[in-house]
Amino acid sequence: MNRLLRSLGPVMTTVIVLLSGVWVVGMIIAPQLIMVEQSFWTKDRSGDAVVISVRIDRLYNEIDVLRFDKTDAEALAPSPRRDAKIAGIEAIIADKQVAIADLEARETTPEKVYSLRNYTIMGQAHLAVFVKTILASVAVTLIAFVVCYPMAYAVAKLATPGKAAIIMLGLIIPYAINELLRVFAWLMILNHNGVANYLLGLIGVGPVPFLESGAGVFVAMVYAYILFMVFPIYNTIETLDTAQIEAARDLGAPTWQIHRRVVMPHAKPGIAVGCIMTFMLSAGSYAVPYIMTRGTAEPWFTQLIYNKFFESSNWNTGSAYAFTLLVACIVFVFLVMRMFNVNIKDIAK
Amino acid sequence: MTAVSQTAVGQGSRLVFNVYMVIFFAYMFLPLILMVAAGFNDFSTPSVTVWRGFTLKWFAVLAQDSRMWSGLVNSLIIAVAVIAVSLPLGLAGAFLMTRLESRYRGLLYGVMVSPLLTPGIILGISTLIFWRETGVSGGLFTASVAQATYISSYAMLMFMARLERQDITLEEAAMDLGASHIQVFRRITVPFLKPTILTASVIAFLQSFENYNTTIFSIGASHTLVTEIGSRMRFGLTPAVNVIGIIFVAVTILCATTYVIFREREKARAVAVRG
Repeated sequence: MNRLLRSLGPVMTTVIVLLSGVWVVGMIIAPQLIMVEQSFWTKDRSGDAVVISVRIDRLYNEIDVLRFDKTDAEALAPSPRRDAKIAGIEAIIADKQVAIADLEARETTPEKVYSLRNYTIMGQAHLAVFVKTILASVAVTLIAFVVCYPMAYAVAKLATPGKAAIIMLGLIIPYAINELLRVFAWLMILNHNGVANYLLGLIGVGPVPFLESGAGVFVAMVYAYILFMVFPIYNTIETLDTAQIEAARDLGAPTWQIHRRVVMPHAKPGIAVGCIMTFMLSAGSYAVPYIMTRGTAEPWFTQLIYNKFFESSNWNTGSAYAFTLLVACIVFVFLVMRMFNVNIKDIAK
Repeated sequence: MTAVSQTAVGQGSRLVFNVYMVIFFAYMFLPLILMVAAGFNDFSTPSVTVWRGFTLKWFAVLAQDSRMWSGLVNSLIIAVAVIAVSLPLGLAGAFLMTRLESRYRGLLYGVMVSPLLTPGIILGISTLIFWRETGVSGGLFTASVAQATYISSYAMLMFMARLERQDITLEEAAMDLGASHIQVFRRITVPFLKPTILTASVIAFLQSFENYNTTIFSIGASHTLVTEIGSRMRFGLTPAVNVIGIIFVAVTILCATTYVIFREREKARAVAVRG
């Protein structure tokens, strides 16, 4: 606090703390907590409601019987015993009416029931989609790394400055073009009557159902997110002193050893960031499967989440699905940080 | 540098490298070229395999598309709101991170950058749920808030990078000479941050304008240009979508070229200064 207060004064320090608080608590932490909380309860309408209405009906019947008893009692000759009996019956009726009112209130506003049901109803089919999404995202990440590492190294260390600038431009342009349009370009290629099937048709191969088989989603996803691997790796390799590479070469290290022992250790934070970004974007992508499957192939996990929220409007189950995805991403982030031995400070740069 | 790369790479690997470059850039650009070409094709669905001649009519079709125009207006409204929210939040966060001396700083930093590592759809959903609790349903407001959650993180990182290079003695000298905190902030800190304010605004605008995943989960029944493009790609595909692609590609090439030229100049200047 000290340095902050000294350099900015009490007024601005207060403003800064307030703004940060709004952001950290009001925009980051609270929404996540509410989502998680919501994923752990269900509003039990279906099962409980039946039980409650049966109980209400039974109470009404009992009251009717009591009223008969009361009229019977009123027909007796006036006596203190008769009055006591009537008063007793009235008291019981009043009790039952209170109970009915209570049950009816519960019937209209169903109670929150905390349970793991939102998670356990995921079932085999949805679990399979989740596993497929995670595995496919890992595959996208690996492919992106294999393709992008040489490119990042080439731009940072091999190309002449002029050439590097042109290659850089060639990377930035596709990177900056909207994700949807890049996916759409592949839709045109892999469509039933797209470019790929046209070319295959020329050599006599019948139309291949790229989109329906789910291959289209994967191909477009690699294309859409591959460049998120290039720039972080490039940024770290660029800071590597070229003399180190030369020294290794002069000492007789073969190329793969130079990369394994000199370049990659230096580029670790960049590789970690690239992997995290590529994985997170793939696993959390809604755009790519939305456009590439057109409802014909097996869905991506994000589409299940969307359907829970906006089609079957089951927000509690949707929250559970969303939280499952979030946990998968957090686990991935920590795994990568462990694997590359980097911390969050190195990552966000 | 040139000499190094000549000696460091043999003839064989140079060939491999060149082939790799050609394949990589063909992979990157051919799909985009096909998409652009289909925008000029006089055929009712986006295609390059069935060529019916060159036309500009899809530009006219797009110009009359009212939903696209309203989407554009919504996108601009959200982008302006996001800039107005995420720059102050990011700057506040950056001040805390560079000037707060506390052992919770690391944890706080982790929370502040966490939106960048969270899938966009989850930011969208959690914002929607949070605001529904207070009675606000999905729309431009929730979309702006959801986007600002992570765009503030970008702004914070940019401001942090700048503040870390700040010469703090300047502020201290001004204070010794009797300037108030507000004066120091206005006359020294803000001018120092100005270039970053500009770049952060541009980045925030682009991030917001281009966003799909966070927006589609938080915008409710409303739409932006990009979410509208998304639904057109799935339902009622016409070459008007390709025309949007052409416009995006043209604007992107223009901006990227400007950026790279600017960057190269900065680099050259830095080298010149270092001697």
